[in-house]
Amino acid sequence: MIRIRGLSYVYALGRSREGRTALDGLDLDIAAGTMTILAGPNGSGKSTLFRLLSGLALPSRGSVEIGGFDLFAAPAQARALLGVVFQSPALDRHLSVEENLSLHGALFGLRGRVLRDRIRESLSWSGLTDRLPDRVGTLSGGLARQVELAKALMSAPSVLLLDEPTTGLDPAARRSFLEQLARLKREREMTILMTSHVFSEAENADRVAILSQGRLLAHDTPAALCGRLGRNVLVVNTPSEERARALLPSVAERLGHSCVLCGSEIRLELGRDEPPVPLIDAVLDSFRDEITGVAVREPTLDDVFVHLTGAGPGTSPFVPKPQMDLAS
Amino acid sequence: MTSPTPFAGTPTFRATTRDATLALARRDLLRFVRQPARLAGTLGQPLLFWLVLGAGLSPSFDAGTFAGGGMTYTEYFYPGMLAMMVLFASVFSTITLIEDRDQGFLQGVMAAPVSRLSIVMGKVLGGTMVAMIQASILLLAIPFMGFHIGPGSVVMIVVTLAVLSVACTGFGFLVAWSMESTAGFHGVMMLVMMPLWFLSSALFPLESAPAILKGVMYVNPFTWAMILLRAPFYGGPLECFADTRYLTALGITAGVVLLILWGGVRRVKRREKGLPLARG
Repeated sequence: MIRIRGLSYVYALGRSREGRTALDGLDLDIAAGTMTILAGPNGSGKSTLFRLLSGLALPSRGSVEIGGFDLFAAPAQARALLGVVFQSPALDRHLSVEENLSLHGALFGLRGRVLRDRIRESLSWSGLTDRLPDRVGTLSGGLARQVELAKALMSAPSVLLLDEPTTGLDPAARRSFLEQLARLKREREMTILMTSHVFSEAENADRVAILSQGRLLAHDTPAALCGRLGRNVLVVNTPSEERARALLPSVAERLGHSCVLCGSEIRLELGRDEPPVPLIDAVLDSFRDEITGVAVREPTLDDVFVHLTGAGPGTSPFVPKPQMDLAS
Repeated sequence: MTSPTPFAGTPTFRATTRDATLALARRDLLRFVRQPARLAGTLGQPLLFWLVLGAGLSPSFDAGTFAGGGMTYTEYFYPGMLAMMVLFASVFSTITLIEDRDQGFLQGVMAAPVSRLSIVMGKVLGGTMVAMIQASILLLAIPFMGFHIGPGSVVMIVVTLAVLSVACTGFGFLVAWSMESTAGFHGVMMLVMMPLWFLSSALFPLESAPAILKGVMYVNPFTWAMILLRAPFYGGPLECFADTRYLTALGITAGVVLLILWGGVRRVKRREKGLPLARG
């Protein structure tokens, strides 16, 4: 459904002729009727890819086909297949829910009865049908996000692009939004491509694509990606992110492993067949009073991401000096 | 690979330029209706100018030979006040473009399969409708101003104001598209608009201006728009179209309007593009 070939994008840096490469020869295929999560650290090229796919920018090189239409040569035909939910709200807060949906439908050539039916259909999955006359400015963040999704559905898109759509939502609203997405995919056989920082959102996706420095590091099912890592992860829990940050160098030095900070957790990948007990003992011996727990678990997508990109969300790995390898 | 069947196989639609233009213009109109403070602001300023300047300058005003002379300043200034109202209402209606970009609305429109022409025309039509609603309120004062004009002249005045509004909205669009903040837009527009209006014969007759100012006024497109606007107050359509100066003003104004709209469409069509990659 989406076919990306050799896609590169170089940003201009001021007046300099040199630029910063945001996408570097990206090849990616998204099959019809699948849900793909596009993940990557900040600056990995996700937002640039999203801008290109939604037709807001033109690449330095490469091509994108959507439903067989070349996005850059026949943008109107390709864009007619797309529903887009941007990270920042794209609704007019002065207009009602109905007026916003109506305006967006009109931009896709809908009018009269078809338009009215489409508004009803687009909201049928949500609890917003009785909020049609309400101004968008009066809705909560979660409800406004549902209107965003309904707006994207107005054109009955074959492909739904979502750029971190759950940003700013509370856990309940986030869960509800993701459930609606899964339902839409199932019932309408929609192709969904969603960027996300939150890996729990990727657990139910068909495929996960991981970007870093403008390149595709991995693209597979969540299970296959976790299986590819194949090693368990030791997790040291601390009371706070600050405490974890302060302990990170000491833990890495003590265990002789490269460790990564993930919120209030310090994580390290165990070596293949490496027994975890000596490491757990070492952690408890040295840091018993400063931590809240230590555990070994199977790898998650979060761990795969850390493994592939070398960084936890918003952090850098701490690599100790090699002579301190206690595990060997 | 499965074939997608959204909404039970409904076909994909695309809006015509006309439909998209009307939809975007309707939105501007709805927003205007819901913000009564805008109406008060754009009507209040020209009315205040008209009343204060009219009362203050009438005793010393001499229209010279303009339109046979012998008019009060409030009468002379009335078309200038109309032009000022349209200028401000039109230009500042485009400020929403900056808000739309900041708040994300514009990217939703840009990602829709609509022509870039409709994005420009939607904003221009919306701004013009908003300005014309406000102008209509001021036009109701014509009979009380001592003007005795026929329906033909009224139509010409309304059409001229609409053309002037298209030009001003188009100009505002061009500037707003490149602006990052509403404060910057305000600053630039005040710097440009006030001299355009001051030196347009809205405040004083072109004929009585000093030679050096007269030269500047002749190259100001707003001067020619004022000639178009003022003429129907003192003559019917036949007289206006028989006047070479009126026809010249018509040609210049039409040319400027087309140039502004062309510039707007060209600006919107220009999409952000990545730098070319080095060969190899």
